[in-house]
Amino acid sequence: MKVLAFSHSMDLVLELISAGRELGDVSLIMTSDQEGRINEVKGAKEILLCKGMGSGDQEGLVELISGLAGDYEVVLLASDRRGRELVGQVAHRLGASSAVDVSSLSVEDGKLVVERMTFGGKAIAVEELGLPAVISVQKGKFKPPEEGEPSVREISAPSVERRIEVIERKEKPKVGVPLDKAEIVVAVGRGFRKKEDLKLAYELADVLGGVVGATRPIAADLKWMEEEVWIGISGVRIAPKLLIVVGASGQQQFAAGIMDSKVVVAVNTDSKAPIFEQADYGVVMDLYEFLPVLTRKLKEIKGG
Amino acid sequence: MDIAVLVKQSLDVQELRVDQDTGKIYIEDAPTKAGDIELNATEEAVRLKEKLGGKAIAIMLSTWGSSGKRQKEAREALTRVLAMGLDGAVLIMGEGAEKGDTYVIAKVLAEEIRDKFRLVLAAEGSEDNFSGLLPARLAAELGWPYVAYATAIEVEGDYVKVTRSLEDFEEVVKVKLPAVISVTQEINKPRVPKLVEIVKAKKKPMDQKDFSPHVEPKLVIRELKVPKVERKQIVIEGDVEEAAEKLIQALKEEGVL
Repeated sequence: MKVLAFSHSMDLVLELISAGRELGDVSLIMTSDQEGRINEVKGAKEILLCKGMGSGDQEGLVELISGLAGDYEVVLLASDRRGRELVGQVAHRLGASSAVDVSSLSVEDGKLVVERMTFGGKAIAVEELGLPAVISVQKGKFKPPEEGEPSVREISAPSVERRIEVIERKEKPKVGVPLDKAEIVVAVGRGFRKKEDLKLAYELADVLGGVVGATRPIAADLKWMEEEVWIGISGVRIAPKLLIVVGASGQQQFAAGIMDSKVVVAVNTDSKAPIFEQADYGVVMDLYEFLPVLTRKLKEIKGG
Repeated sequence: MDIAVLVKQSLDVQELRVDQDTGKIYIEDAPTKAGDIELNATEEAVRLKEKLGGKAIAIMLSTWGSSGKRQKEAREALTRVLAMGLDGAVLIMGEGAEKGDTYVIAKVLAEEIRDKFRLVLAAEGSEDNFSGLLPARLAAELGWPYVAYATAIEVEGDYVKVTRSLEDFEEVVKVKLPAVISVTQEINKPRVPKLVEIVKAKKKPMDQKDFSPHVEPKLVIRELKVPKVERKQIVIEGDVEEAAEKLIQALKEEGVL
């Protein structure tokens, strides 16, 4: 089977190649801005280098990928926002099936069978897709390949009627350790009464060497924190070895984002909060009393 | 300028019951609603309409059957968005809709939208499935440009200026109308309709149409499984000092400290 892959993000490129190799040979599209990182690519059969197009050109990418896809059975894209924006458009242009955020993929009787989370994380859908298929792959599910030097072929950029013009693009400031790569995460919810009180969570995270994330209300409604740290199905999905959830009730949106965590601790005053069903260890206590004591005791251990 | 807002009749996933032991998912028992982010799309449509004139209409596709219960819920969900200030609604419902994938649904919705609207607003993803595929497919079906993840929208003549938030960039793009735009929850705070507006909303035009596609789906859902989330659910007892000590001990034994 022939697989065509593209991602804006070089980190995700390698995961896509690895996913694609479960199906067959992978051809990877790279754009002008990615050319400098061509040597990082392992495991693909070939690189299709389009020097005439940048990865910020959404309309150009839809045209380029759709134009090449005729020679392939499966198109793999990434599940970041820019990748997901392409999936439906490319699939529809090809009259192809589509699925996003798939965690596994295989071929059975000429159909692509994928698994993906649905119902806010309460169910896994097993979907059968007719070929050709355009899918995006869930982040962190496929281990980057370590070997296999691809050949490089240059391709030309298609001409596109432009209807979208980028008039401003600002790179976002990089947060220290991205939440989805953090080993230890302290997640804060509405149990915190005011923004200043979040320092209790930061102090705990500091002593553990972890980072602080938030539920949707804290990031989106109250805007106490940046939206990059918002955990959930429409935010970041995390997989730390230790997650401490403080003052969050455990709404489905959030629950779906923490499922892959290894050990989950919940601190909440309400013993009936759904978060306790999603936790390995539950502490039914006021966070304002519990957190300072936990942080102090951890400091003592780390200090001694 | 007339605006269409896509509102899906979504399962209320918060209320959806699943049984981890038997693997049963109680879909029929779960209520349905308009998705939260669709209320943001509605709010944005109403704000644009109030500024620019024209009409803003909700288009709802119902994919969870057409029983009396689902009919009633669909109408309630539409009444809610109408009460926020939309001018009318189209409800597309029918037996075939449950098996429709985004390929089929995009084709059905395009017939409802082409020639009637200049701007389509949608949520970045639906409440129950959250794939975000439909607005992208709809744009491709209509041959219109598509911009996702809008956090601000401004219409300037024949163009719409969209601010959007991506993982690594903030972008402002200028998009030629007609266009399809999907929004995120940060774009606005949806208004809460007053009782009098809800009463008035019940008199607004609501047009029900039968779902009758001319194409076959490209995707079949083979199975819905309940993920096994096995958490220990140990409650740490004691006073604050004891609880902190017990927790630290447990985390040491887990090997995560």
